[in-house]
Amino acid sequence: MAIEKPRMVFQEDLSAIEDITLSMFDLAAEMADRAVEAVLNQDIELARMVIESDDKIDGRYLDVSQSLLNLIALQAPVASDLRLIAALLSTNNHVERMGDLAVNIAKAVPLSGEEPPVDAEILNIIERMGLQVRSQIEQAKQALANQDAKLAEHLVVEDDILDALNKDIFRRAIEIGTDEDRREWAILMVLIGRHLERIGDNCVDIGEQVAFVVTGVFREFTDASAGSDASA
Amino acid sequence: MARKVEGTTMTEENQAQVTPMQQIEPQHHADKAPRESLVTVDDVTVKYSGSTAVEGVTFDIATNEITALIGASGCGKSTLLRCINRMNDLIPGAEVTGTINYKGVDLYGEKIDPVQVRKLIGMVFQKPNPFPKSIYDNVAFGPRVLGIKEDLDEIVEKSLRRASLWDEVKNRLNSSALGMSGGQQQRLCIARAIATSPDVILMDEPCSALDPISTGRIEDLMEELKTRYTIVIVTHNMQQAARVSDKTAFFTVNVNEDDKRFGQLVEFDDTEKIFTNPSDQRTEDYVTGKVG
Repeated sequence: MAIEKPRMVFQEDLSAIEDITLSMFDLAAEMADRAVEAVLNQDIELARMVIESDDKIDGRYLDVSQSLLNLIALQAPVASDLRLIAALLSTNNHVERMGDLAVNIAKAVPLSGEEPPVDAEILNIIERMGLQVRSQIEQAKQALANQDAKLAEHLVVEDDILDALNKDIFRRAIEIGTDEDRREWAILMVLIGRHLERIGDNCVDIGEQVAFVVTGVFREFTDASAGSDASA
Repeated sequence: MARKVEGTTMTEENQAQVTPMQQIEPQHHADKAPRESLVTVDDVTVKYSGSTAVEGVTFDIATNEITALIGASGCGKSTLLRCINRMNDLIPGAEVTGTINYKGVDLYGEKIDPVQVRKLIGMVFQKPNPFPKSIYDNVAFGPRVLGIKEDLDEIVEKSLRRASLWDEVKNRLNSSALGMSGGQQQRLCIARAIATSPDVILMDEPCSALDPISTGRIEDLMEELKTRYTIVIVTHNMQQAARVSDKTAFFTVNVNEDDKRFGQLVEFDDTEKIFTNPSDQRTEDYVTGKVG
C-alpha cells in the first residue's frame, strides 16, 4: 500500500522556509510604513530606525537563500515542490529589494533638511501611495500563503493605482513653481514616489511567481516594454 | 482493436512458420528530426496465470529518444518492458493482449520470430550478467547465434567502442568477463546488446547495482547511444529518469474488485513536463515523494 507523506522532513523544512519568507513581507511592510511616516513628519530619527532595520530583513534573506539551496541539493525537489522553491528564491529577492527601497526612502529624509518647504498635495499623494503599498504587500503575501492565482493577478489592477499616484507626484512637481528649495524638495519627493512605485512592481513580480506555482506556466502579467509611460 | 496473443516459446513447429524480421530493416536515425514513433504500444494488458499484471497501456516510443518507465514496485513497468521484445514469451502462463507494433509490424503477429524481435530490440538487465566467457566471446555471442561468421573482430571492436569500453579492455579481450568491475560488466552487456545491430535497447534498471561513478558513465553512454538507438529504460531512480530521458511514462498500482493489485499507465509526456508540471495529481504525488 502507498505510504502517505514519506517525505515529512522535506515538507516540514519547506514549510518552515515558506513561513520565514512570509514573515519577511511583514518586515518589508513595516519598513515601508515607517519610511513613509518619516517622510510625512520629517522624522529623521524614525528614518534612521528604518535604515537599521534593514539588517533584519537581510539576515532572513540570507537564511532563506541558503536553506532553499540546501533543499535543492539534498532533496532534489520536482514538480510543485520545485516550482514553490523556485518561486520562493525569486520572492526572497523581491522582498529583500522592497526593504532596500524602503531604506532608500528613509535615506532621503535627512536630505531635505529640518524644515523643508513642503507641498501639502504632494505629501498627500505620498501618504496615499504608502497606504497603497502596504495593501499590495499584504495582498502579495496572502496570494503566496494561499497560493491564490486570482488574488496574485489582481495585483496588476492595484499596481495601476500606484502608478497613477506616482504620475500625479511628477505632474505636481512640475507645477510647483520656480522657488529653488521647493523644486529641490519636490525632486526628492519624485524619487520617493518612484521608490514606492517600485515596491509595487516587486509585489506584481511576486504575484507572477505565485501564478507560476499554481499553474506551472510562467508568464508576465503585463508587458513591461509596452506603452510609453516612462515613469511606470 | 485489441486482440489476444498468447505468450509462446519457440517450437520446431512455429519456427518453421516464422517470417524473418530482417525484412524490417534496422533504421538508425542519427540526424533525423522530428522524432517519429518506432514502437507503438496500444491497449496492452499482460496477465500471469490469469492475474492481471498491467492493464490497458497505450503510448508511443519515439525514434532516437530515451523513454523512461517509472512507478512504484508492482506497477508493471518491467513487465511492459519485457513485452516490447517478447521476453515474456519465456514465462509460462504469460498472456499478452493488445498490440505492440514495431515500424508498423505487429510484434506478436503469427509469423513473427521472437528471436529476430530480440535481435532488433535488445535488452540490458538490472544485474550485469556477462557469460562466463572471455570479453570477446561475450560480445561475439549474439552475432554468432545469428550465424554471422565474418567480420566478428570488427563487430566486437565497434560494439565495445560504442559502449565506451574498448580502451579499457582492448589489451585483454581474451580475459574472462567475470574479472571486470560491475560497471564494466554492465557496459559489456550493453556492448553485447549492440553487437546484433538492434534498433531499440531496453534497459531494466541498468544502474541499480552500480556505484555513482559507474552509474554516471552508463548515463553518459546512454546519451551517446541515443544518436544511434532508441532506448527504453525502467528505473526506480527518478532523478536518473529526469536526467537521461526525453519522455517519461508513469505507472501506478491499482487494486481491483478481487483485491488484486495491477499496474496502469497514468501519464505519458515529455520528461520536463512530468518533473515540473505533471498533469495528473497521482504523478505529482509520486514524483514529489508525497506517496511512496
